[in-house]
Amino acid sequence: MEIKYTIQGLLIYIAITAYLLAFLVTLLRRKKAGHILYIFGFIAAVLSFVYRWYDVHHVPLQNLFEVFLCLGMVCYPVSWFCRRMLRVGGGCGDMLIGAVVLFPAGFVFNAQPQHLPPALQSWLFVPHVAVYAISYIFMTKAAFQAVQQLAGIAPNPDENLLPPEEATYRMICVGFPLLTLGLILGSWWGKLAWGDYWGWDPKELWSLASWLVYVGYFHFRYMFGKKHPRINSAWAVAGILVIVITLLWVNLSRLFPGLHSYAI
Amino acid sequence: MNRFRRIVLWAALTLIILLIFLSIYGAFIGAERAKAFFNSLPLSICWIALILLLITGIWVFSRLIHIPGLLFMHAGCVLILTGAVCSSQAGHKLQSKLFGIDKIPSGQMIIFEGASENRVALEGDDQVRELPFYAKLKDFRIEYYKPEYLYIQNREGKNWKIPVQINTEFSLGDDIGTVRIVTKFENFKIKIEGDERVFYDDPQPGLNPALEVEIKSPDGQVTARYVFERFPGHIHPGDNFLLSYQRVISEYISELQIIRDDEVVAEKNIEVNHPLHFGGYHFYQADYDNKAGQYTILMVISDTGITIVYAGYLMLCVGVFWHFWIKHLFTVKKTNGN
Repeated sequence: MEIKYTIQGLLIYIAITAYLLAFLVTLLRRKKAGHILYIFGFIAAVLSFVYRWYDVHHVPLQNLFEVFLCLGMVCYPVSWFCRRMLRVGGGCGDMLIGAVVLFPAGFVFNAQPQHLPPALQSWLFVPHVAVYAISYIFMTKAAFQAVQQLAGIAPNPDENLLPPEEATYRMICVGFPLLTLGLILGSWWGKLAWGDYWGWDPKELWSLASWLVYVGYFHFRYMFGKKHPRINSAWAVAGILVIVITLLWVNLSRLFPGLHSYAI
Repeated sequence: MNRFRRIVLWAALTLIILLIFLSIYGAFIGAERAKAFFNSLPLSICWIALILLLITGIWVFSRLIHIPGLLFMHAGCVLILTGAVCSSQAGHKLQSKLFGIDKIPSGQMIIFEGASENRVALEGDDQVRELPFYAKLKDFRIEYYKPEYLYIQNREGKNWKIPVQINTEFSLGDDIGTVRIVTKFENFKIKIEGDERVFYDDPQPGLNPALEVEIKSPDGQVTARYVFERFPGHIHPGDNFLLSYQRVISEYISELQIIRDDEVVAEKNIEVNHPLHFGGYHFYQADYDNKAGQYTILMVISDTGITIVYAGYLMLCVGVFWHFWIKHLFTVKKTNGN
């Protein structure tokens, strides 16, 4: 556990607190106050990201600290987009997701600024990491909806939101193209930097596994439709588990040494 | 859904699940072994089965033909897998047998500054083969982020980070004194002249970056210290400070010329992320002479199959975005219009 006594740390802690308060207040049915707190947390997360950008002189997506900072910032716009455009709820859960993803940035990962190594000095660096970050948030929301489906929780009929099974499908439909693009951009970048578009690196293989889980989900859902909603949801939950391993375990564990080790 | 289509779908789902578990297994055994594993005969059969299954799927499911997004996605996967087969060692051998095109799949070449070279040491093999042209290394250099820093730690664990600026004095605090970097060496050497040791920067090939540092205590006592980049943590028993000199590499650059029939036909500064493409090969910055900086090591990789893989990537990308995003945007617009 590492507490950051810096402006950077302060902004992260403000964002975490605001997200957590927003979650609690919304649970207590004070939706408007919860939403205001959520926006406040989002502003703190954006400020924290911008501050980091100014501090390191490059888009801060180099290591896990910066990626989690970005994830914490992306939560609110994704949540807003899903509710307004896709009729997918889960705003209360999104607030909790925001706090959870910012927690490692605030308390676990080292925030020491680093220079970009030669391999990361590519125009593909930002789009590759950014599309993955956004797709991960969509897939997290999909898993959240899937858990709701498994738990038998349905949205309030007054809210005009999709039932959890359909919401899961819609979330995966939005996140999957981004996941695919992230994989392809990574492969293209690997070809430019290391000479191989596919190096069989542990991170690459886990990313392929996560992509394949969603490919499996689509095929299963095409075969059986909504006949087995619990199995459909289990695919989505399996997907997020593999994503968490891809994002965290591969970089933190010594079990998986590889070309992506610098991303710690 | 008829029986054959159902079998195809079940086969697809089984193969997807199998690939998920194989990918996870591959991640546990490390990149080298995973590469050998996924290129082994049983797995090669699995890849070919996947290609055939995708083609069968496109053939038997009219939905895949009539919905452009789905067609692009599945056809894209076929192209990616076909390109991967073409670019593999086995693909190169097959190409040589069928069409007589005998290219080097991949390997490394060592080129000294000022020298030309066309020999490539093949990957995973002791063989050396020759390219039909020469590569000449005009110059190899490493660039570092500026400023460079001298790191100081005293016995109480207090740290300082001093930018390397010659003859600029930095205060370490009233009770500790000041520090000044007197000289910066690229290739530090010592010679004996009479009874004296002389420290100098050797212009001959070699790399031994070092700093000459002067630490002045508050009572005016001056201590000279030499700090070497390659020997961090070097400290004498009586020293009060641990000094280290660290530079962060920003780029490796090989200035390369391609020579055919005594004429320069291509020229490029090869950097990480900026390979040279010539004559059906890509040349990548792979390694360098870290003792003297006299040669570069380039990775040479055949471009066979890469266009097919990239075409597959493009089709897959267009397919997923069309099917999951753009198609729906048009539908929403149309609904709103109506």
